[in-house]
Amino acid sequence: MIGLISYLVFFTTVASILAIAVLGLNLQWGNTGLFNGGVVAFFGAGAYGTLLLGGTPQPDHMGGFGLIYPLALLGGMVAAGLLAWIVGVLTLRMRHDYLAISTFGVAVAFENLMRNAEWLSGGAKGIRGFERPLRAALGDGFLYNLLFLLFVLLLLFATYRFLELLVGSPFGRLLRAIREDETAARSLGKSPDRIRLIAFITGSVIMGLAGGLYGTFYAFVSPQDVLPTLTFQIWAMLIVGGAGNNRGAIMGAFLIWAAWTASGWGLSRFAPVEMQIFAGSIQYVLIGLVIVGMLLWRPQGLFPERLVVSQSGHAKN
Amino acid sequence: MKKLNNSKLALTLGTSIGLAMVAGSAMAQDCTTKIGAVLPTSVDWGRPIAETAQFAVDQVNAAGGVAGCEIEMVLRDTQVDPKVGVDAAKALVDLDGVQVLLGAVSSGVSMPILTSVSVPSNVMQMSCCSSSTAFTKLAEEGNTDGLFFRTFATTGVQAAVGAKVAADQGFSSVAILYKNDDWGQDLNNLIARDFEALGITVTASVAINDGQPSYRAEVTQALSGSPEALYLGLYPAEGTAAVREWLSLGGTQNMIMANSLKSDDFRENVGLQYLGSALGTDTASPRVASADAFVAAYIDRFDSEPNGPGLANSYDATMIALLAMEAAGKDATGDQIAASVASVTDPNGTPVTADTAGFAAARDVLAGGGTVMYQGATGNVRFDANGDVSAPAVVWKFTEGGTEEVQYLSLTEVDDFIASLN
Amino acid sequence: MIQHMLDGILVGAILSLGATGLTMVMHMLRFANFSHAELLSIGAYSALVFDAIFKSALPVFATQIGPLSMTLALGLAMILAMGITGASAVLFDRLVFRRVREKGDELSMVFASFGLALIIRNAIGLIFGLHTKLYSQDIVFATVLSRDPLLLVKPDQLATLGIALVIILALHLTLSRTNFGFALRAVAENPNLAQVNGINLQKMIVTVWVLGGGLAALAGVFYGLSNQITPTIGRDLVLPIFAATIVGGIGSIYGALLGGFIVGLAANLALLILPSGYSPSVPFLIILAVLLIRPNGLFGEART
Repeated sequence: MIGLISYLVFFTTVASILAIAVLGLNLQWGNTGLFNGGVVAFFGAGAYGTLLLGGTPQPDHMGGFGLIYPLALLGGMVAAGLLAWIVGVLTLRMRHDYLAISTFGVAVAFENLMRNAEWLSGGAKGIRGFERPLRAALGDGFLYNLLFLLFVLLLLFATYRFLELLVGSPFGRLLRAIREDETAARSLGKSPDRIRLIAFITGSVIMGLAGGLYGTFYAFVSPQDVLPTLTFQIWAMLIVGGAGNNRGAIMGAFLIWAAWTASGWGLSRFAPVEMQIFAGSIQYVLIGLVIVGMLLWRPQGLFPERLVVSQSGHAKN
Repeated sequence: MKKLNNSKLALTLGTSIGLAMVAGSAMAQDCTTKIGAVLPTSVDWGRPIAETAQFAVDQVNAAGGVAGCEIEMVLRDTQVDPKVGVDAAKALVDLDGVQVLLGAVSSGVSMPILTSVSVPSNVMQMSCCSSSTAFTKLAEEGNTDGLFFRTFATTGVQAAVGAKVAADQGFSSVAILYKNDDWGQDLNNLIARDFEALGITVTASVAINDGQPSYRAEVTQALSGSPEALYLGLYPAEGTAAVREWLSLGGTQNMIMANSLKSDDFRENVGLQYLGSALGTDTASPRVASADAFVAAYIDRFDSEPNGPGLANSYDATMIALLAMEAAGKDATGDQIAASVASVTDPNGTPVTADTAGFAAARDVLAGGGTVMYQGATGNVRFDANGDVSAPAVVWKFTEGGTEEVQYLSLTEVDDFIASLN
Repeated sequence: MIQHMLDGILVGAILSLGATGLTMVMHMLRFANFSHAELLSIGAYSALVFDAIFKSALPVFATQIGPLSMTLALGLAMILAMGITGASAVLFDRLVFRRVREKGDELSMVFASFGLALIIRNAIGLIFGLHTKLYSQDIVFATVLSRDPLLLVKPDQLATLGIALVIILALHLTLSRTNFGFALRAVAENPNLAQVNGINLQKMIVTVWVLGGGLAALAGVFYGLSNQITPTIGRDLVLPIFAATIVGGIGSIYGALLGGFIVGLAANLALLILPSGYSPSVPFLIILAVLLIRPNGLFGEART
């Protein structure tokens, strides 16, 4: 029984971390209509930023500033935000399909930079030397994982509340207005470019938070953690959950991650050994089918966006 | 969703409790002990590594299992994705109750498994193929709790022997092509230093990324210094593309290969006619007649020589883990098993071979309170305090049917040579 | 330096073929098709199958043409592969893109193409295995053009360059001089207006997919000839092909041709200043640079 609970705590932690990243994407895509094809770059900036700032000094690469944990995590989020600001200023004016391609390229370049810049990020062997916060006091057994899960759930809830408030606010209406009809929004004297940039950076900071927690949980990050696969996974979670609905985004994250791990578990248990080599490919084909299937038959996702009608009809800003 | 997951998990739990009860009440072979394997089975070169581990398990079961129990290896795919690998390892430890984890292959997957699963859960982790120097550093800092071992000789040996080949062949200038991952970057740094120590000029040191549209530019760059030889720290996939390009542009056929290119695919796709003056390096089996047992048994089982990255290492990792479990006794915990590794890789112990008979022999010795020296597929494996292994080395070349040994370097010769470089 | 430029042009020819098809699809259907590069894989693998069939059925075909590593069998296989790939492209449109197009917006199309690419790539891996395949085990040695500076060219690559130039020129002439070309452009500019004027939209879309698929197959085969065939061809080429398309400007055939050469050249020349480990980033840097200077690419027209 202890084993089962221990595993569920572990599973829920990872799923919750991914759910935070999905919430960040939901702000960008679900609410603002920005196609971010490089989620993993901002996630990675958060993870690398946190570990570089909070780790112990290493002889072969930069960082190891040993900042206290909350500052390190915040630093990771700032790193993601800075990256998003640069990328946003350069690319958000582009046509939407150009944006998808450019951000995809950002992620490739980010992974590539982390892999090669040994002085910065330790190169392909990644960053270690990070001590999980309070490990000395709590050990690193079940109790630690349980408390860390509570910490992650707290942040997931905080992010969710923040986004719900944001989406319900005049700013949120503005985001949807830009998504639906940019020209109309502009004619009302709004500045779509600026608003979009703010939404893009906010969403990326949230992804950075998820990345920071991910790096903390594993106390390690390497270029293998920031491959484009993660972008696909996060997107699949959002599409399945329902773009535009924060609760759907969280459910999508849990559903897809459960399906991903359970299918690996099931294949290892029930598929003959000769079939194992196909397991990875089959999983990817399935995830592709789920994505395409959802777009064909239920494009609004399992939990569709609830259309909020403003009570007054006259936004304050 | 939760519900579904729960019921599935409950099912496993029920099964494992059932098995545990059987284990408690029955005699030899009526019980089952699980070990976990987290390997990239969905990658072309990952699957044979997993098959070889299963092969070792089968041999041990044929010898009557470990501590009277049959071994069941539960294999999980990592997809070379750290998240997936860590989750699989955690599930193996928590749900299947394994005390030993074999894997992973990539350092980027092995490392988070070690820091977030093996060490916190007190489980022994034995990797066949993770080469990053980060593991040594982590162990030096005392953060592995002595739970981590790897049978992949540190890249230092590979690099030193490669440099020695170049010096012995009389090459005065060499270009290096290396895989742009943790192993390749390490290898490149080390061998460039070794070449320099031997007075050999490195004309170019070119990183080869996975899956590039063309390696022509990289190869052109390596060609530009007109080197007398080419050093290849690559895997078969990109190695094939880069070497074909190299040859077609008139590059020299004097090539020195790391053990990762000891692959039938590479030999066939490049063509044996161009590999006549190519020499490879690898860690080696000891010079005892019984050492051929592994190769013979492997051919018997798989119809081909054990050529491919990490196969011999995977076999040894599995065998040593199982021997250590035998030495630690029934129901031993991960740290007890890890502590027993020394008694099965003891240089002063009774030599045992790497096969069914060897395992049975080891059991008798261990039961009598003795220690054994495991003579594995990669040599007389001997771990240092950080769980790193050193081994004798061999120089090989490609032949019609596979590979053949050109030169053998004993452990002392390797150590002396490395010392002479510094 | 000169060798790097030459190499760049030769690699660029393959990218140009891929980008030409992509630019037409993107112009007409207005979405970034992340699955286009998978069509190269389909082309390369179907040619592999037909090549093996022809060689075993008619051994005469297995002889090489002149100095090329190309055989008559592979030449025929290539033509069949173009047909198969074109047909697959139409099939994918029927099964996925058309339905999403009718239902959702352009961005759903982008994500549908993500998903489709994942399916195609892994299905190919399941069918053909993950190992490297080659059309021919032989290595064709490069011809020395000049000793000082050393200039080397492979005959296969020259042939690729020649064929790519001829095809793209022919395509451009068709599009700029014939009624079909006008119709195509009309549809891309304003689908509704074009339909009012009696142009069959569905037919035009099918034609574009067939052309795009055929060119992609050609690029895939040439890629397989000069490199190797693996299920990850699509993943590896998607960014360079997008870069070539964007550099040239979406909708411009000449732009795609030039874009391919620019990306190929830049990737090769970049190695003179950057360590080779950074080469996967080069296409991205080119995209960024071009879009900052000319937001619609070199030959593209502004479009909302």
